Amino acid sequence: MDLTAKKVLEINLTDQTAVAKTYKEFNKYIGGVGLGLKLMESHFDKEPIVLSVGPFNGFFPYASKTSIVLNNDGVIEDIYIGGNLSLRIKYAGLDAIVIYGKSEQEVILDIQNTNVVFKDGITDILSLGLPGKRGDIFLEDGIRTKVSLNGYFTTPEDYFEHELRAKKLKGIVITGTEIAKPVNFDKYQQLYKSILIRKEDVSVLEASYPSCANCPMGCGKSKVGEIGGNVLLHSLVACQYADKIYSDLGIVFSCLNVLGYDYTHEDIELLPSLIEESLKRLA
Amino acid sequence: MTKILKATYMENCIGCELCVLETQRQLKKVGLEGAPIRIFRKRKEKSEYLEFGIEIDPRISSLDIEKVKNICPRAVFELVEDNGETSGFNS
Repeated sequence: MDLTAKKVLEINLTDQTAVAKTYKEFNKYIGGVGLGLKLMESHFDKEPIVLSVGPFNGFFPYASKTSIVLNNDGVIEDIYIGGNLSLRIKYAGLDAIVIYGKSEQEVILDIQNTNVVFKDGITDILSLGLPGKRGDIFLEDGIRTKVSLNGYFTTPEDYFEHELRAKKLKGIVITGTEIAKPVNFDKYQQLYKSILIRKEDVSVLEASYPSCANCPMGCGKSKVGEIGGNVLLHSLVACQYADKIYSDLGIVFSCLNVLGYDYTHEDIELLPSLIEESLKRLA
Repeated sequence: MTKILKATYMENCIGCELCVLETQRQLKKVGLEGAPIRIFRKRKEKSEYLEFGIEIDPRISSLDIEKVKNICPRAVFELVEDNGETSGFNS
């Protein structure tokens, strides 16, 4: 895992091609919504959907959301969905997936790490990907067509659904098979456990609903994702209900440091203004 | 007698995968590849809810299974006496 650059899988639905690219210059955008907005800006003419994760996804508890940045009829929207998707993207070795163009026929993307297979839209989505290592998103028809992530989680509003329909993208399956090894593993384990036990600092009630991966809460709030909010949390990408934990810069730097990132206080302080500048250019 | 990890209360599983990640950390890695526990999700019939399946590789016995049991927030696992009947996947 290269911590000095962002790895982005770019998928062109029109000609059914995909390529993984590395962007060192985007490292200062940290991840999640910061990276998502920058990728929206750099790919704007292609009308992309940008899925992105942050440095903590897959590594620390309560950091389970995937950021989705899209252009909703001229308004750039950022939404966040739960489930296991962020871990699958991270374990695929990716920081973001940019999907652009439009398929002629309904299509399902079967992604394994950086390899993409374009499947016919009638393919049984549950037959794709590797057991125990896959996550899926698909458009589920009903009274109201909604995205279903892992068969349970969904999105706030209908922006994502609208974009998927417009691109004739019926579903996405992501399998991640990469392994990471933080350099100071013992310190990483200690930090992980010290965060995991802070359930009382998470502002949802513990329950028995399907839970986001790497979160013990099983809360009823995660089913319908999030929209907008704290840009640092959503660049990391932590759950908004864990803001007491991940708004603490001491914790943030401890986590970044133990994973091997070399972000400075200035990098973190600069992030909101970088995001603001991206938004201004996109407006 | 040796204790083994058994997913006795699988119906309580919420799919958080903390057990999977705990086993991987004990193996000094982060990720899903080669994990001794796998969680499978499927939608309950005629329901909006999910149910989860758990497969446990018997090789998990070489790990600290007490820690794996204890990290589960829904007390899905038990440590039970190994009566020698377990072979292949324990689910």
